[in-house]
Amino acid sequence: MNLSRFDVLIGLLMMPVIFALPFLTQDDFYLNLATLVMIWSIFAVGFDFVFGSLGMVSFGHASFLGIGGYALAIVTQRFGLPFEAGVLAAIILAAFCAWVFSFFALRVSGIFFALVTLALSQLLYILADSKLREWTGGADGLPGVARPEILGIDFFSSLNFYWYVAAIFVLVMAAIAMVRSSPFGRVIRGIQQNEIRTQQLGYDTHRIKQITFLVSGAISGLAGALLGSLLMYVNPQMLHWSTSGDVIIMTLLGGAGTLWGPVAGVMIFEILKEWLSGWTPYWYGILGIIFILVTLYFPKGVLGEIQAFAGRIRRRGGKS
Amino acid sequence: MSTIIIGLSLGMLLFLLASGLTLIFGMLGVINFAHGALYMLGAYLSFDIAHRTGSFALGVIVATVVVGLAGIAMERFALRPLYNRPHFYQLVLTFGFILVLTEAVKLFWGLGYKEAPMPALLSGSVDMFGSTIPVYRLFVIGFGAAAAIGLFAALERSTFGMLVRAASSDSEMVQTLGLPASTIRTAVFGFGAGLAGLAGAIAAPLFPIELGMGTNTIIDCFIVVILGGLGNIRGVVAAALLIGMVRAIGYTFMPSWVDVLTFAMLIATLLTRPQGLFSRPVRSA
Repeated sequence: MNLSRFDVLIGLLMMPVIFALPFLTQDDFYLNLATLVMIWSIFAVGFDFVFGSLGMVSFGHASFLGIGGYALAIVTQRFGLPFEAGVLAAIILAAFCAWVFSFFALRVSGIFFALVTLALSQLLYILADSKLREWTGGADGLPGVARPEILGIDFFSSLNFYWYVAAIFVLVMAAIAMVRSSPFGRVIRGIQQNEIRTQQLGYDTHRIKQITFLVSGAISGLAGALLGSLLMYVNPQMLHWSTSGDVIIMTLLGGAGTLWGPVAGVMIFEILKEWLSGWTPYWYGILGIIFILVTLYFPKGVLGEIQAFAGRIRRRGGKS
Repeated sequence: MSTIIIGLSLGMLLFLLASGLTLIFGMLGVINFAHGALYMLGAYLSFDIAHRTGSFALGVIVATVVVGLAGIAMERFALRPLYNRPHFYQLVLTFGFILVLTEAVKLFWGLGYKEAPMPALLSGSVDMFGSTIPVYRLFVIGFGAAAAIGLFAALERSTFGMLVRAASSDSEMVQTLGLPASTIRTAVFGFGAGLAGLAGAIAAPLFPIELGMGTNTIIDCFIVVILGGLGNIRGVVAAALLIGMVRAIGYTFMPSWVDVLTFAMLIATLLTRPQGLFSRPVRSA
């Protein structure tokens, strides 16, 4: 195993921040915001598993987030099953959906992959918004999504739910860090750099891409269930292609293909949103301009550029 | 009969929109996600001009030219620096332009629905084949057909078309021959964007003008381009007419399943002919 020192360092810095936050503020607004950032981070990290590692743009990841949310809501409300069963269903259904998506989308490559994932996710959006109204509540969505129930802890308290999500966030980040540094993670990056060469080394690249997509979908489904639980509400907007767009913006802002980049991106996105929306109702357009400028001039994203800068300094230090 | 006319006019509108998209892809290898937003901008512009001056034709011209210029600016300042980078940067960059264009339209024209006036000359209806058919639908069909013929002529017969095709198949060679390959790329992008603006202006009197119109249409447009085979103008004509017909027939017989029907066609196509319905398979390498 071979974790990058940079990633471990940020991880070690993040831990005390996550742990200390509830002691610094008890304000529900900040606790919920921090919870939201962690949930979106899980989504963004899961998305980047395909985007950053494989270099394929999925414009359909909102589907997996939405399916996760709806799975939790429907399993707990319709079938009266416990929260954990709902989360499990969210992960499994999102993974299954990702597998179906990859079945179609991997038949084409490059830009077509983005178009096909987009079209499939819009199909799900239309189904949730109107066709399956009986199950999804149509445009009104489903209110009253469940919160966890273990040992009689009150997870309707923002503080307790924060701890719950924080624990899952740490576990997911650790798991992703391990996968990235495992042989499997290296094969994925090999595919991004040169698929044909990886194929000739004896790897079934199609199968590996499919597995990557499935894992990415599963993580997104988990994020969707947690998001539904935080908001206690799911609606078709979760499935809309602008949600897929948001996660792309976040990931690129922070730095695609790095472990912590998507997390940084989510933070930047939320900070910009809070700051800009207090300033102008047209904040989304300004965010768009910032996004365009970052894509043009800082393609590695904020964290990626810092990492590259640190690398340059280290190399210079080594030479002297 | 009126179903067929509606289908044909929808198909022609989709063709106008999709031809710009497929032209840009075929020549530059860029999928312009903001194509739908440019279409929306065209519709708003033509509405505004027609509303102020009372001239539909002026609105169409202004919308086409202004959106074309916006496309030129986009290519020159945002896309050109990205050609050497992985494809997905162009994809996500054009997505960024959707956000900017949508907010810009919101800033100028607000959130409410707009209705473009039907030009007086084209507002009546005629009796044909035993049913009443709005003249404007016929105009759209005729205009689309003329545009299709014009595009073929421009691409396959004119010197500019030859340059464009040359620049798309080997831009380095074109550059070496002393021809301005990057200017050609800019011109093609501007032209494709102008087609989106034109489609918006032509569609304006038929549909309510709103902020979501671009996003809804662009998905249909992508489906047309996928069905037609990428960068293939003939395929786009056929696919646009096919989707237009399917939608029109769907609206008549099972209105609530129209969208699902188009998606089903997309999925069936991908399963059987991933390279598109109307193109021959291309061998790689």
